Amino acid sequence: MGIEPGLGVERREARFAWGLAAPALVTILLVALFPLAWTVWESLHLHDLRMPWLGRPFVGVDNYVEAVRDERFRGALAHTLFFTVVTVALELGLGCVLALAMNRPFRGRALMRAAVLVPWAIPTVVSALLWRFIFEGRSGIANALLVEAGVVRAAPVWFIHTDLAWVPVILADVWKTTPFVALLLLAGLQNIDPALYEAARIDGASAWRQFRHVTLPLLKPAILVALVFRTLDAFRVFDLIYVMTGGGPGTSTEPIALYTFHSLLQNLRFGYGSALSVIGFAVTFALALGYVRFLGPGLTETRA
Amino acid sequence: MARAPAACYPAQAETAASGPPGDAAILTTTRSRPRPRRPSGVWLGLLLALGCGPERPAGPAVVTFPGSELGAEGRVLRGQLARFMATHPHIRVVQRPTPDAADQRHQLYVQWLNARASEPDILQLDVVWTPEFAAAGWILDLDRFRPPTDSFFPATIAANTWNGRLYALPWFVDVGMLYWRTDLLRAPPATFAELERDAARVRAARGLPYGFVWQGARYEGLVAVFSEYLGGYGGRILDGGRVTVSSPAAVEALTAMRDEIHRDGVVPPAVLTWHEEEARFAFQNGQAVFMRNWPYAVGLLRDSAASRVAGRFDVAVMPAGPGGRPSAALGGQQLAINAHSRHPEAAWEVIRYLTEPAQMLERARGVGELPTRPALYDDPALSRALGLPAERAREVIDHAVPRPVTPVYSQLSDILQIALHRALTGQQEPAAALAQAAGEMQALLDRVGLGRRRSADGD
Amino acid sequence: MTRGSRWAAVAIGLLVLGSAFPFYWAIVSSFTPEARLFEAPSLLPRTLVLDHYRALFTERNFWVPIRNSLVVAGTTTAFCVVVGGLCAYALARLRFRGKGPLLGLILAVSVFPQISLVSPLYLVLRSVGLINTYPGLILPYLTFAMPLTVWLLVGFFRQLPAELEEAAIVDGASRLRTLREVIVPVALPGLATTAILTFVYSWNEFLFALSFTLGPERQTVPVAIALFRGMYQVPWGQILAAAIVATAPVALLVLAFQRRIVQGLTAGAVKG
Repeated sequence: MGIEPGLGVERREARFAWGLAAPALVTILLVALFPLAWTVWESLHLHDLRMPWLGRPFVGVDNYVEAVRDERFRGALAHTLFFTVVTVALELGLGCVLALAMNRPFRGRALMRAAVLVPWAIPTVVSALLWRFIFEGRSGIANALLVEAGVVRAAPVWFIHTDLAWVPVILADVWKTTPFVALLLLAGLQNIDPALYEAARIDGASAWRQFRHVTLPLLKPAILVALVFRTLDAFRVFDLIYVMTGGGPGTSTEPIALYTFHSLLQNLRFGYGSALSVIGFAVTFALALGYVRFLGPGLTETRA
Repeated sequence: MARAPAACYPAQAETAASGPPGDAAILTTTRSRPRPRRPSGVWLGLLLALGCGPERPAGPAVVTFPGSELGAEGRVLRGQLARFMATHPHIRVVQRPTPDAADQRHQLYVQWLNARASEPDILQLDVVWTPEFAAAGWILDLDRFRPPTDSFFPATIAANTWNGRLYALPWFVDVGMLYWRTDLLRAPPATFAELERDAARVRAARGLPYGFVWQGARYEGLVAVFSEYLGGYGGRILDGGRVTVSSPAAVEALTAMRDEIHRDGVVPPAVLTWHEEEARFAFQNGQAVFMRNWPYAVGLLRDSAASRVAGRFDVAVMPAGPGGRPSAALGGQQLAINAHSRHPEAAWEVIRYLTEPAQMLERARGVGELPTRPALYDDPALSRALGLPAERAREVIDHAVPRPVTPVYSQLSDILQIALHRALTGQQEPAAALAQAAGEMQALLDRVGLGRRRSADGD
Repeated sequence: MTRGSRWAAVAIGLLVLGSAFPFYWAIVSSFTPEARLFEAPSLLPRTLVLDHYRALFTERNFWVPIRNSLVVAGTTTAFCVVVGGLCAYALARLRFRGKGPLLGLILAVSVFPQISLVSPLYLVLRSVGLINTYPGLILPYLTFAMPLTVWLLVGFFRQLPAELEEAAIVDGASRLRTLREVIVPVALPGLATTAILTFVYSWNEFLFALSFTLGPERQTVPVAIALFRGMYQVPWGQILAAAIVATAPVALLVLAFQRRIVQGLTAGAVKG
């Protein structure tokens, strides 16, 4: 086969591998990378589909300048940050508690897994509708229960108050995703060697100390994975809010993705909308990079 | 949702839109469990082939029409379309439900037309949408069909003309009218001064809570009302490409409106949150001497079961101020053809039929909507159909002024609404509010290349 | 430790109750007549009717969105499992340069916010007339489905014993044959799980379906439900009935394959 038969084999293997990987690579180039590049290019133009007589002139960073000055966009950014911080904190906290609870052998494991998976598996649209219905109007079931339990005297109309409207939204997201976070953390918990707990107990450590000094540090990788996924997802939230509040009342619950959608497909300002989505993408990407720094290498290692 | 007989075109009975034929083929093959062996190239080819336009079998042209399906309107329309199809066997009209709320329908149209959907073929447009859709290239220019423009009211034709071409045919017309109590007054006022005097006098004498009610909430209706005061004082919103809403006449008009509310007490402050219905209820319950509203209220006010003023009111054109003439805001619905329609000629046939005098008369009788053909107003049948003398309606229509005919009207209106409402709620002086609005509106027009063009509506 | 088990039991009890309550309430309400929906709601139903479900399939023709979702999700899944599977195999089991960057690239694509792809995809689809068609949805769906399948299958393939290929090659089989006859049968459980997960994600997708379809003839289930509009009021009864109908198959699928799905999700995520 040649002077170095090893090299020839390697080359054939590499060719075969690229042959297998090529269709996927081409697909991704076509439907994801090329369109993303186009979005960036589009963001540098004025392109209003309702005014074709204006053409599509190059305007440089005008759209970005407008975005920075746009009060509604700044508001959307703030709403997105608020939503992300609150939901990730709640989901991580509750998920941790649940994972610890689930990390014991007991009957009904299947039931528990079902309780975890079904909220995760249904479309976000459906969970948004379910929770909207629960909090709807003055006589939805949530209000009925709250009034009966004496928590509130008068049933509030949740969706017309700029701050109260967040409650059902966050609740719906926590309901849908906490079980998934718990699952991730559970997998991490199950990797911890029980001998370590033995040792700690022998040393006289309380349950809380065991948690702090054994569980937490060893759970760190799983926690970080959960953090990354949840933060990225929360930042891109769209379905939930579109269906539950439509961004309202007014625009007080509008996240970036929804405002971008509005600019693109309702106002038909494609240049401006593209700039908004580039900004959103940049922030998301920065967050992802930041987390990856913590996660460290190991994502691209393979069994050689 | 399609009402067409399913027998002939089963694939279209449910889709009524461009969709791949051979749906059944896709259904059977992809329901099976995905097996990891199937070569992807064949799939891609299949998908692309199926995604291309379907070959429709030759036969009647199918024209989709999103008209209202509810109540009397729906009934009348269905009857007319059935008669049309009976006399035009080569055309089938399929109705497609759309939301009745104007801005929802507008959003849906924008979505469809922007995506270059070939359906619906016919569009029912609000009067202020025509220039917008025409300039965006979404509707067909109708001149090629040689429409009988002389048989329609000139104002309605002007409102549907963009760049010298007609883009939609007026179907029925709405005009802002002054409703007045015939049991409390002998004649309608001819000037605003008279109106204010009469309202104050009658209120004091009869103890009515309101003198004059109109739509003052922060929405398009407010601009319509303002345009009537504005015309009455001799002003205009737009003159060619120049914004003239801060002229002295305009300031006078807006000041008059504000004073009616806050200084003279002729108009209740509550109107600042009212739309058409709230004003109608106030008048219907006998609480107001005068009301400004659209013609739809006539039928409801005549119904003695629900209305306390049945038989005790009449309509007239809005009064004028010094230096102006009586003006009526022009509304109504027009019919246009989708620029990407596959059956423009068939669509034109439908439009022509629906705007024929006989059909318009039927609509007047069934729904109380005013025809857009002046000749019909000489027909005594129309008075009977409308429940009010046709000459009265015609007089108002003759004084109709279209709102600015420009593609960016809705954005201009947004700016103006805010300024008007601020002035009327006392947050800003009328002169300052209008000056600010005028500046923003002109900036918008200039930015999109529509400012400072030659005057005359046939732009 | 009994105190620990007690609070664990409480926590799990709350989890199950909390997860189940919205479904319970939705199911009960979907069988409640419309007029009674907002009038003194009680946890236990008093009257049950089938009106909403009947209306779903007679008035609203709910079969159409179900069919659309099946076609789109099914095709996307089939395509991605095949194409993505080949790529994942190469990434997991073969040696070649550029492996790291390739995997990184594919994973980076899954970080893209969907909204940032809407404008160019819309313009392209519009110019080739694919708005409101099946391919017009399937192609955009590949943007998230492909990275997902690759990610999951890399995890699965890595878990296979390394000796599998070696044994086959020693026997004289070509790489392609090895793949076809040795690897695929062994990896079938992983492939099946990946197919299920990809199908679920595609079925649930909303933004692209909302942006690239125009009407009921091509809308998928999530969009159809979200856009249920009554003329004068929100038809909650029908919406909830549709929600139940739409999610029951997905829920059953997930329940049937729980263990596999959990394995797939966590293997890909944590050990990855």
